[in-house]
Parts: sequence; C-alpha cells; structure tokens
Amino acid sequence: MNGTAKRIRNWLEVRVGLDELIRSNLTDYRVPSNINLFHTLGAVAVVGYLIQVITGICLLIYYIPHADHAFRSVQEIMTRVPYGWLFRQMHVVGSNLLIAAVFVHMVTIFLMGNYKRPRELTWISGGLLMVITLCFGFSGYLLPWTQLSYWATTVATSIPTAFPVVGDFVSRLLRGGSSVTGITLTRFFAVHVSLLPPLFVFLMVVHIALIRRIGLSATPFGRSDEEKRPLTEFRKKLHPDGYPYYPYLLQKQALMGILYFVVMFLVISFAPTFFFPEEATVPADAFKTPESIRPEWYFLAPYQMLKIIPNKFLGISLQIILLAVFIFWPFLDTHKEKNIFKRPVLRGVFIAIMIAMVILMWWGRR
Amino acid sequence: MRRRTFLQSLLAVFGAVSVASFAYPLLRFLAPPSDANRDRKFTLAKKDIPIGTSRVVLVNDKPVIVINEQGKGYIALSSVCTHLGCLVGYEAAKNILVCPCHGGTYDLEGNVLSGPPPRPLSKVPLKVESEQLVIG
Repeated sequence: MNGTAKRIRNWLEVRVGLDELIRSNLTDYRVPSNINLFHTLGAVAVVGYLIQVITGICLLIYYIPHADHAFRSVQEIMTRVPYGWLFRQMHVVGSNLLIAAVFVHMVTIFLMGNYKRPRELTWISGGLLMVITLCFGFSGYLLPWTQLSYWATTVATSIPTAFPVVGDFVSRLLRGGSSVTGITLTRFFAVHVSLLPPLFVFLMVVHIALIRRIGLSATPFGRSDEEKRPLTEFRKKLHPDGYPYYPYLLQKQALMGILYFVVMFLVISFAPTFFFPEEATVPADAFKTPESIRPEWYFLAPYQMLKIIPNKFLGISLQIILLAVFIFWPFLDTHKEKNIFKRPVLRGVFIAIMIAMVILMWWGRR
Repeated sequence: MRRRTFLQSLLAVFGAVSVASFAYPLLRFLAPPSDANRDRKFTLAKKDIPIGTSRVVLVNDKPVIVINEQGKGYIALSSVCTHLGCLVGYEAAKNILVCPCHGGTYDLEGNVLSGPPPRPLSKVPLKVESEQLVIG
C-alpha cells in the first residue's frame, strides 16, 4: 500500500473505525461451512437490481413520458443514441433475468426450508420484494407505449373491476380515467421511477438487516443443525466453526454475479429479439387490439388461469388467495422438519405446482 | 381524567384529523375526474362503413364499434369486452364479435355467446340521418 492510500486508510480508521468495520462484516463474519451456490442467489438479485438502477437512470435521460413521444423516444434510444440499444437491452433483458433470479432464489429458500421460524419475517419481506419486482416489470412494461404494452396494461388494469363496489374506482384510479391513455402512462412512469424505488430500498434494507440479525441458516441437506429449542427468547444464529464471509462466500457471490452478466450478454448478443415480439415494435393503437396479445412470461400462468376460469371474480380471487398463501406460507407450514426430502406430501404439492405453472405458461404462450 | 391521558387522547385526535385532512385531498387528487356527464354525439358518413364491415370510433372517450350488417343495417355497441377491457373485433364470416385476448364471443345484439365475459356489450344509441350516422 503506498503512502497516499495508507494516509486515506488511517484518516478513515480514526473517524469510522474502518478495520473493525471490515473485520465484523467480512473476515470475522462467519457463514455455515456447508453453504452452497444457492446461497448466492440473493446477492445475484442485488447485482440485478443495481444493473436495473444504473441502466434505468441512463434511459431516463432520453425517454419522454408522453403518449405522443414515448414510442418515438424509445426508438431513438435504440437507433440514434450512441449505445442506447445496449442500455435498453440491458434494462429489458435484465428485468426478465432479475425476475427469474428472484424466483429461483425463493424456490431454493423454500426447498431448503429456510422460511421456518425464526425467519418468517425474512421470508415475508422477500415475498414482498418479489411482488414489488413484479410491479416494476408491470409498470415499466407500458412505458415504451407499444401495442403489446398498451393492451397488456388494458387487461391488467381491468382486473380490479371483478370486485364489486370498489373495483371500478380502483381501475379508474390506476388508469386515471375510463381507459388507458397518456394519463395512465404518466401515472405508471411516476410509480416506476419514484414510488416503487424507495419502497423497494426500504424492504431490501429490512430483508438484509433481518438476515444479518437472525443469522444465516445452514441447509438441511448437509447436516440438520437448525434450531430445535423452544422459541422463547431471541438468539442469533452464529457459526463459530463456519468459514469467513470473505473470501469464502463473497467470492462465490462475485462468481455468480459474473455468470449473471454472461447470461445477459449471451441473450443480448445472440437473441436480441427474444424479449421483443412483433407487437412490441408497433406503436400503441387504442382502436385495435392485436390478435396475439399476451403478457411477459412471468405473468403467463395467471393470464392463462384467467382465460380458463369462466368466472372473472373467482379467477382473480383465486390468484389473490394463492399470492397470500405464498407470502404467509411460514405461518401455514408449522411442521418442524426442514428437509423436504423427508416430507413427501409437501414435495408432491411443490412438484404439482411447478408442473401446473409450466403447463399454464406453455398454454398461455400458444 | 389524568393530565397525561388527556394529552395522549388529544394527540391521537389531532393526529387522526391531520392524517385524514391529508388523505382525503390525496385520494381526490389521484382519482380521475368523472366523465359521466359527457354527452357528445359522434357523426360518421354512411359510406365509411360498407356492408359487412365495421369501424371503431371514440364516443365520449369510449370506443364504440359500428357495424353495417348485411340485411339489418347499422348497429353500435361498446367495443370494450366486459371481461378484461380488450377491444372486440367483427368477424363478418360468422357474424359475431370476438375478443382477441381471452376468446370471448358476442352476437351482434351484444349478448355473450361463449367465453369468460360476464356481461353483454352495452348498446350505444345510433340514428341514421340521410347520409350520416349519429352515434351517442
């Protein structure tokens, strides 16, 4: 370390206690020795969010949130702004990869039983973060003002009308009128760039603080050392025989973060139109619903459910109940066994739900 | 009543009033103005809709499909599918209206024939005045 760096380090040391900060958060912070790559998915999601923030700010510089200019401004970003295509592709591909990463993160947490006490709040905050991530996807979808985004938003903002009394009001509140117009666009823009980000940051801080406060859980596959004591007092889960967070887990997380970038750039380089179907390149036309209108892949399963359940109220109520069950699952599953391989019923239900989701997505895409 | 209890109650009342006095304007601010009182007519030339074709027009900011049905003349219906708000299209070969989003179908009276729509399409008043159609 040269003289200047040493002086800066000393300057920080005497003011904020840099050495102690590094020790307590990196080298002395112990993680379970049987931790695996699946424990890095939360960090991958954080990398994904950072990419969305940076590319989103870049797009904000050229994007015009007005019904007369939005489509054109996005086309100009793609064709005229130097490297505009790169930042937009990163934002679009990134949003899809991010949702996939968050989904896989939650599935692995579920399979490892790490939502169980005392980590119920960590699961709920993670579930809410996933809902906000989907809201980001939904609100951002309208912004390019294409046929696809216009009609997907029309369908989605009609969903509240299934509910008596308040349904129409909520739908009008979302749209800013009786149909999707430029007012809806500015509302969605405001939600996308100024309402969701602080909510998201708050929940992320809560989520990470809970992980640090309660302590990481070891997986049930290597050894079953999870809490068996009666939950009468708070006790932080420590891993004195574990490995230091740095370099052991941090390097794994960095590796997975790089892998995330690799996948993103593979899609951008070799399948640049993968997330841009034909209707996503046509400007919004309020007078014509396209023949093949379908939402993004992550909304295909609920979309297909709405199609096959004949009663709208029933279809939407069922989806809200399923979402509530998903978020409050730790309170519904009170079984002490964490290892899903020792729980045939839960394993069967999980596999059935996954198969049903894949079938609904495939069916919805046809 | 103890002084502390009184002050706590007072604080709760003032707090609730403060929140309500902010929440109500916020809700009104976000809610769009009502368009229930709009009553403007839309005029269209008859020649713009040949027999067996349709056209979507905006009447009081709401999409309306005007159909020229062989042998029966002009019909105007709301073109907003009552399921989830997509615009229905006229399928002249089968003489029905089809929603492209979830496959709901209606007859030309607006009645639901199949699919998930919960209600018929609402009829829109239409008058034929010499070479003009007056809708709304």
